[in-house]
Amino acid sequence: MALRNLARNGRRTLISLLVVGTGTAALVLTAGFILFNFRGLEGALVHGGLAHLEVADAAAAAPGQLDRPVSDALGDWQALRARLQALPEVSAAGANVHLMGVASTPAGKSASFVAVGVEPDHERAMGFTTRVRAGSALPAAAPAEGDDAALLARGLAASLGAKPGDVVTLLALTPDGSLNALDVRVAGILTTGVQDLDTRFVKLHLATAQRLLQSSGVSDLLVMLRDGVPLDAGKRAVARAVAGHAPPLAVVDWKARAPFYDQVKNLYLGIFWFLGTVILVLVVLSASNTLLMAVLERTRELGTLRAIGTSRAQLAAIVLLEALWLGLLGGALGCLLGWGVTLAINASHLQMPPPPGAVEPIDVELALVPAAFAGTVALMLVVLAVAAVVPIARATRLRVAEALTAV
Amino acid sequence: MTDGASAASPLFSARGVVKHYRLGKVPVPALRGVDLEVARGEVVALAGPSGSGKTTLLNLFGGLDVPDEGAVMLAGRDLGHLSEAERTRIRRKELGFVFQTFNLVPVLSARENVEYPLWIAGTGAAERRRRAEAALAAVGLDERGTHRPDQLSGGERQRVAIARALVHEPLAVLADEPTGNLDSQNGERVLDLLLRWNRETGATLLVATHDPAVLARLPRRVRLRDGAVVGDERGGGAVGDAGIAR
Repeated sequence: MALRNLARNGRRTLISLLVVGTGTAALVLTAGFILFNFRGLEGALVHGGLAHLEVADAAAAAPGQLDRPVSDALGDWQALRARLQALPEVSAAGANVHLMGVASTPAGKSASFVAVGVEPDHERAMGFTTRVRAGSALPAAAPAEGDDAALLARGLAASLGAKPGDVVTLLALTPDGSLNALDVRVAGILTTGVQDLDTRFVKLHLATAQRLLQSSGVSDLLVMLRDGVPLDAGKRAVARAVAGHAPPLAVVDWKARAPFYDQVKNLYLGIFWFLGTVILVLVVLSASNTLLMAVLERTRELGTLRAIGTSRAQLAAIVLLEALWLGLLGGALGCLLGWGVTLAINASHLQMPPPPGAVEPIDVELALVPAAFAGTVALMLVVLAVAAVVPIARATRLRVAEALTAV
Repeated sequence: MTDGASAASPLFSARGVVKHYRLGKVPVPALRGVDLEVARGEVVALAGPSGSGKTTLLNLFGGLDVPDEGAVMLAGRDLGHLSEAERTRIRRKELGFVFQTFNLVPVLSARENVEYPLWIAGTGAAERRRRAEAALAAVGLDERGTHRPDQLSGGERQRVAIARALVHEPLAVLADEPTGNLDSQNGERVLDLLLRWNRETGATLLVATHDPAVLARLPRRVRLRDGAVVGDERGGGAVGDAGIAR
C-alpha cells in the first residue's frame, strides 16, 4: 500500500528519491574521501618512520615526551629485537638512534640537523620507504670506520651546497656530554615529504650514528605488526614480551607519537558532520514536503480510513512506511550513484595539491567501505522517519467528520 | 458482533443533542436538541434537504463526531464520554459505513478494499481473503475483485463499498446518500443489497438521504429541517414490520 501510494504521484516521488539519493551519494562520497585521508595519513605515519609500536626506555617515553635520546636501558637491544621479531603478531622490528647536531662542509658552510640512525635492511622489512631523489640509498651492511655515509634531505643539502659524493662533517653531543665529529660521504639526497623537515634531516646507518655518539646504545626499537593484527592486541603482545625488563621499558603506539593525527581526524570529522547536517536538513525538508503534500491530497481518503476504524497508530504506520520506503529506495539509489562516482574518480587518477607542509601532490582515491554505505542508508531511514513526523501529526489529527467532506 | 445491551433497548438513541459548527468565528447550529431512538434491526431514513442536519446526526451515531450538548448512545454506551480510541474500536468492530462518493482507497483492488476492515482488525490473511471474496460475491462482484476502483463503474464502486461495510458483520450500517452519485437503476440495486442484508442479518440500517425514490422504500422516515426533527413517519416501504421487529 505504501509503495502504491508513492507511485501515485510519480514525478513528485521521483524528485524526492533524487534528493534522498543525491544526499546519500554526497554522504557516501564524503565519507569515502575522509576515510581515504585517514588511511593515507595513518599509512604515511606508520610507514614513514613511526611503525605501529615503539619500545623505549620507560623513563624517556613518559606520556607527552617525544624526544628519544640514546639510552643505556636498551643496551641489550639486539637480543630484545630478536625476541620481538619472534612474536607471531610482529612482522619486523628495527633499532633507531636519534640525534641532532651541526653539519659543515669544507667550503665553510654549516647548518643544524636532526638525524636518525637506522638499520636499512630492517627498515625495508618494515616497509619504510626512503625517497632518494639523487645518488643512492644507504648500504644495508654496517659501514667500516672511515667509510661512513649519509643521506641529506634536499633542503639541507641545498643550504650546505652538498651533492652526492661530497664529504660533510657532522658534529654532535655524545651521551656523556662531550662533542664528537665524524666525516661522512653524501650517499644521496632524499625528501621526507615534509617541507620543514627537508631543511634539516639526515639519515645515517645505525652504526654510523653510534660511532658519532660514541655509544653502542639505541634510542628505541620500532615494531611493525603483521597485516590484520589489531593495534591493541599487538601492543599487548609486545608489552608481555618486554615485561620484567630492567630497567623498565614502555610500549608506545603510533597514535601517541603523532598527537596531531587526532587533531586532523577531529577536524575532518567536524567538516563531515557540518556538511552532513546541511545535507540531512535538506533531505528532511524535501521529504517532509513530499509526505505532507501526499497527506493533504489524501485528506478525504485518510478520513475514510479513520471512519471505518483505522486507529491513529495504524494511520501513522501507513505514513511512516511510505517515508521509510522513500528512504530505503532513495538510499539504495544514492549508494549506486556513490559507488559509480567513487569508481569513476578512482579510475581518473585525480591529484590534489600538496597539503600544508607537504611537498608532493596526493592521488585522490576514495575509500569504498560497505559499512559506510549501510550506515548512510540506515541514517537515511532515520532522517525520513524524522521527516514523517509533521505529516504523521497532520494525518492523525484529522477531524474525521471534516476530513470526509474534503475535496 | 459485540452487544452488551439487551435486545429491548434501542441500538441508537439521541437525547437533546445539540451540535454547532464554526464558520470562521461564527458558530453555525447543525442540530438543535434532537431526540431520536432507533431499535435494533430497524431500517430508518434520515430525510431532509441539504443543511438539515441529517449527515451531522449520522456522524454522531457513527462516533465520527461528538455532540456539544446532549447524549448519543450506541447499545447503551454514551459515545460522547468514550475516548477517541474507544470510538475508533467501535467503528472498526460494530459499524459499517457507506458514503455518497464511495470513498474507496484508489491504490487497492476491489478485494483489498473489502479486506481492509478485517486487516485493521487483525484478521489472518487467508480468512480475510475468504470473507472478502464472499462479500464481493454477495454484491455480485466476484469477478471484479482484482480491479482497481478507477476500473469500475460508479454502481460497481458503491457495491464494493457496501461489501467493505458488511464484511466484518457489523451491528449497523450507516449510509450517507448511498445513491446520490448513481443513476436510478444502480441506486435501486444498491438499496436492494442493503435491504436484503438487513432482512438476512437483522442488523440496523440508517440511511441519510433526500432521494424520494429511496425514501419511498424505507419503512421509517425521520424528517429533519434546520437541525430539528420535524417528522417521524412509519409504514410503507419494501421492508415491513418483520424487519423492524428484530
